[in-house]
Amino acid sequence: MSVSPPAVEIRHLVKDFKTSFRRQPLRAVDDVSIRIMPGEVYGLIGPNGSGKSTTMKALLGLVAPTSGQCAIFGKDSLKVDSRNEVGFLPENPYFYKHLSGKETLEFYGKLCGIRGSTLKDRVTELLELVDLTDASHRRIGGYSKGMLQRIGLAQALIQRPRLVILDEPTAGVDPIGSREIRDLIFKLREQGITVFLCSHLLEQVQEVCDHVGIIFRGKMVKEGRLEDLIAIEDQTELILKDADPGLIAEIEALIARDAKAELIRSGKPRTTLERLFLRETKRQETQPK
Amino acid sequence: MTQGKRYAALGLAILAAGGLRMPFERQLTDDLQAAGLLPPKLEQRTGEKIGQTFSAVSLGGLRTLVATFLNLRAFTFFTEQRWGEVGDTYELIVDLAPRTRYYWDTGSWHQAYNAASYYLYGSELPPLRRKANWRASILRGREFLERGIRNNPEDPILKHRLGTLLSDPNKIAAFGEPGDAYEAAYEAYIAAAGLENAQGFSKRFALYSLARVPGREKQALVLLKEIEAEGGRLPPTFFGLSYTLRHYEAPARPIMDLIDSTFPSRQAAYETLGSQWHRTRDRFPVFGVAEALAHLENDLKIPPERSVLKQDVPAPMEPDDYFAPKR
Amino acid sequence: MNPLPAIAAIPEHAARIAVIAFHAFTQLVRMKVFYFLAFFALILIASNFFNLPQHEGPEAAGVDVLRAIKSWSLGAMTLFSVVLSIVSTALLLPKDVEDRTLYTILAKPVPRLDYLAGKLLGVLLLVFVSLAMMDALMTGILHIRTNMVLADQMTFAEARGWPAEEMEALKTDILAQGPTASLQGAVLSVFLRATIIASLALLISTFSTSTLFTTIIAFLIYFIGHFQADARAAFLSQEAGMSDGILAKSVTLVVALVLPDFQLFNVIDAVIEGQVMPLVLLGKLTLIGLFYVVFYIIASWLIFAKKEF
Repeated sequence: MSVSPPAVEIRHLVKDFKTSFRRQPLRAVDDVSIRIMPGEVYGLIGPNGSGKSTTMKALLGLVAPTSGQCAIFGKDSLKVDSRNEVGFLPENPYFYKHLSGKETLEFYGKLCGIRGSTLKDRVTELLELVDLTDASHRRIGGYSKGMLQRIGLAQALIQRPRLVILDEPTAGVDPIGSREIRDLIFKLREQGITVFLCSHLLEQVQEVCDHVGIIFRGKMVKEGRLEDLIAIEDQTELILKDADPGLIAEIEALIARDAKAELIRSGKPRTTLERLFLRETKRQETQPK
Repeated sequence: MTQGKRYAALGLAILAAGGLRMPFERQLTDDLQAAGLLPPKLEQRTGEKIGQTFSAVSLGGLRTLVATFLNLRAFTFFTEQRWGEVGDTYELIVDLAPRTRYYWDTGSWHQAYNAASYYLYGSELPPLRRKANWRASILRGREFLERGIRNNPEDPILKHRLGTLLSDPNKIAAFGEPGDAYEAAYEAYIAAAGLENAQGFSKRFALYSLARVPGREKQALVLLKEIEAEGGRLPPTFFGLSYTLRHYEAPARPIMDLIDSTFPSRQAAYETLGSQWHRTRDRFPVFGVAEALAHLENDLKIPPERSVLKQDVPAPMEPDDYFAPKR
Repeated sequence: MNPLPAIAAIPEHAARIAVIAFHAFTQLVRMKVFYFLAFFALILIASNFFNLPQHEGPEAAGVDVLRAIKSWSLGAMTLFSVVLSIVSTALLLPKDVEDRTLYTILAKPVPRLDYLAGKLLGVLLLVFVSLAMMDALMTGILHIRTNMVLADQMTFAEARGWPAEEMEALKTDILAQGPTASLQGAVLSVFLRATIIASLALLISTFSTSTLFTTIIAFLIYFIGHFQADARAAFLSQEAGMSDGILAKSVTLVVALVLPDFQLFNVIDAVIEGQVMPLVLLGKLTLIGLFYVVFYIIASWLIFAKKEF
């Protein structure tokens, strides 16, 4: 089996936006590199305005990079055919209000060149997947936020892409709707679909992603496997089962004898992703420019 | 390519495309003008106000609709006898729809006939003002019709209408010398007769006008003979002119001989020539008519007291007769 | 490997453009633009019962009604087609950007040229269908009314004992005011003009920042475009040495090069007045229209291809 290209390959992406005349351009994305292998669920986290959406748009060819390259499964993002393998759900999506849910999916399906009974079957299947079969004949204009998000996800999946890009998939959705979307992402992962999502809701990312990147003021400040990132490097964790208090006292005494080692805490050993995020961003802020 | 360069390329492309289409569009404009589908070039539209032309051009596709509305408005002005406004409205209308005969015809008719009769009978203005307005209205109607003809050179009806206006006994005094007016009327009628789709009687009317131009009697006779040769049904007026023009050409020819060769019967000759004698306002030539009537009365044994020659001939009514101060 | 991938891809492009076009058409239809047609039918039928005041004698009776029907219809077609072309084209693109639906479309394998062409064709399809319906209605009513006028006039002429050739001339005169082939040509001209202004509005909307701006500029160009021919004539006469003045020369040249020539389409008015439109000239007019549409689509794409959202 040949080595398959990464699902997402972003290399040294820089994106400047012109503000007004003579002023310095605003650098929205500054030398960001991301590589996502097929089957991964990658979460890009960062505060609003940190360059998450711009990175995604560059990956989709909606904006042209100032420098650097983006590719999807080895195909340049600026070329139309790179979009064959990708589905995209924008932040707060609106769809054509005059179409029903079913018509919306049919429209996007036809755009991807799917016709006839294949299209019909795919639409039925997706409506079922996102649990909108009952609302399929209602106009999108009357959909709730959560329904819009779900139809948006279905739309992104219409041509069976191997990569799905989700921009703030749960923004403005109530907790129940949020959980439904999370479950859908799990289903995608089970099917082996690569997911690239961005969010500022950290617990959610922690729940679904196996890889994360933290982006702040356009720069990638931390990236890697979630497991690795949230492990605390100068600490070691022992997870004991059925240890009696005597054993624990013995261990504690052993530690006390060591000159260097120190017992910080026993109990829950992990930091949260949130703490990690705050730590990394604070460090970035205090650094002199 | 940066977006700035793309805009520059767009600008260049627009200019290049403009240069590319220019000769083609210019040729097409010429073709369309030749086919009468576009109005002639701006510099040829003499005397038309540029402001009106502006609105007319930019209303592309809506012009006849606006003309229809203005025509309704003109009708209101007409019923309210606001002649100046009627005239101005028609100026606008023909600017919008210069190819519609109806508007030229109607606009002229409102001035030369309706407004003129209003100043003749209806107005409360002092006589001199009424006369001046009467004359101005008729001349405006004539000028309007002439412009209509210039805009529609292939239309026989407008030319015929101009002939009718110029030879109208009730209007002729407005045009100055009657002979000149009849000559102009002849020109209009004969131009109409020369066009396709001309009405059959235009040529005959040309003859009637030419016969009334002093000094053109010989040409009138040539025209008369031409019409005769074409055949067809001819009215009494024609026979009356036939007699008088032939008599003018050969005064020595025996009167009764000429009558018999011209009219279907002597009774008809008497009636026709009698009425010709009395229609002084029409200013038909009467060469040899008095002699003919005398011969015919003798021949038809008409008692002297019933002789047409004894009846009062009404003097031609001149505008001044109407504009005399009211008692 | 396919030796001619570009040509092989044409059906695929055509299919995608058709999808976007039908979608834009549906979108506009569901915006209830066709209600206008009911209104049109209403005024047309009403104008048929509406007796215009007669200035003239019986020899002209009825002909002005035919002219009125044509003026009404083509006037309404002009208004409808121009307004719809500009407003809907100016609306569709920014609406997609604003609602972020454009992201979802461009995130699919849709070339931007296909998207632009599809949107424009959708608008044009709507204009075409509307004009065809209005045309059918106008032609039907005009046909009925012409026959009525003709019957009246023939009876009148017969009663007066007109000679046969004059009756024939009268008949020709009346029929020229009825539903002629040239009148269909005029309707096509209305459509052609709408396609030009719609594609121009598309071009403007690719760099305009608001719908209002696009609409205003498009209407402005529409009106000034009626004087392009005069600017061209002025420039060419200066060229021929009629007068000089570098400023006047360059101004007229720029106007002539940049603006489309809408005066060509004023043939519509002449046709309403009964002029005959030769097929050759209609063909040339169609070519001009096509040239503009193709050019403006490509020009729009030039700007839109690398536009960022």
